[in-house]
Amino acid sequence: MLRFRAHTFTDDATLMMAIVNRTPDSFYDKGSTWAEDAAFDRVAAVVAQGAEIVDIGGIKAAPGIEISPAEERARVVDFVARVRETYPSLVISVDTWRAEVGAAVCEAGADVLNDAWGGADPELVDVAASYDAGIICTHTGGVTPRTRPFRIEYDDVVAAAIDDTTRYAERALTAGVARESIVIDPAHDFGKNTFHSLEVTRRIGEMVETGWPVLVSLSNKDFVGETLDLPVGERLIGTLASTAVCALAGARIYRVHEVVETRQVVDMVWSIAGRRPPRRAIRGLQ
Amino acid sequence: MIVLVPGVPALLPSYASIDNPVADLRAACLDAVGTLGPRVRVVAPTDLGARVAEHLLATLGAEPAADATDVLVVGNGSAKRTEKAPGHLDERAVVFDDDLRRALLEPLPTALSGLDPQLADELWADVDGIRELGDLLRPGTTAEVRYDGDPFGVQYWVICWA
Repeated sequence: MLRFRAHTFTDDATLMMAIVNRTPDSFYDKGSTWAEDAAFDRVAAVVAQGAEIVDIGGIKAAPGIEISPAEERARVVDFVARVRETYPSLVISVDTWRAEVGAAVCEAGADVLNDAWGGADPELVDVAASYDAGIICTHTGGVTPRTRPFRIEYDDVVAAAIDDTTRYAERALTAGVARESIVIDPAHDFGKNTFHSLEVTRRIGEMVETGWPVLVSLSNKDFVGETLDLPVGERLIGTLASTAVCALAGARIYRVHEVVETRQVVDMVWSIAGRRPPRRAIRGLQ
Repeated sequence: MIVLVPGVPALLPSYASIDNPVADLRAACLDAVGTLGPRVRVVAPTDLGARVAEHLLATLGAEPAADATDVLVVGNGSAKRTEKAPGHLDERAVVFDDDLRRALLEPLPTALSGLDPQLADELWADVDGIRELGDLLRPGTTAEVRYDGDPFGVQYWVICWA
């Protein structure tokens, strides 16, 4: 079972985590949901498309102007409260590495802390534990938040991702986060060049075999763009191909810009893998 | 008691979908088979039909028994009733099924025993079990129809004879 505060999901469920940026400068949407009402409209749209989770972020991942904790809180806390009030059955995740922001959003009703920066703030797990929230444990190779990878090498990038994320997961467990609320994420492109992200994708089954539920965040990322030599905006097919590979291996949560397309790919692959019946099969069975 | 159900593979758990395309047929089959006792003789000429019968019985906690008095017959009409039907459209199908329906409901044991196997074969009708109803049914027996339809261009009946 997966559980994020009051929201539970069975072990055969796959989940769409839709990205909602409260930022003026994220790489994909370029500030299109910077205005609070635009972000709220984005939540309504992805809920209508069937997303089980929204992942609300107040700071873009790439380097840029420093955003203080106060500014980050101003971007996300009241917004989380508004989404919580309007969508009681929606799982709300907040993309933050800061414990103080994590506490504020959990107080406002967030269910998951998505620590995209791999435990940069060691107290984030304590916040998750005190609110009985979920936590996403990512691998970044130890880089500082909001920095790009530069000449990073691994003896074995997958082994490093497994070591770091499972150690982080055990630390969360020790801190008091419920076992069923802990998820690991290899964090494609974070502390990784394109070759690293391709290898992580190819060997994602090794992360699944750890027994921790695996989240993948592939959507329109640079490893897709560099592999196909395509700019942001033309990476959907490459994203979906990567999604299919991860789904076949058993990844459970998909952090996405495009909910409908990803849901179709994951459902199709999950059925090919024999983990999900067809929606409605009658051909040859009449 | 005698019951007729169609040998529809979509009734089997191994072919279950998230949205059941034969939910109403399945409900009718279970209602009808539920009128039989705990031991039931199965008349199913094909392996697939036998699996459907055994699944329905198992769902209700009943079991197949060669010497039982209650009988579950598996069979159906033509699978060539429409252009979208598995066997495409054969214009003889509707007449064939209408005659067969009359023979089942009256019932007409002689007509059931004398069903033309070649025509049934050409129309993709599964009547080998139904033909045995000629020996099981007596004229004047009341037929209770629980299902009569061709949702996929295949004629299904679920019928109970007391």
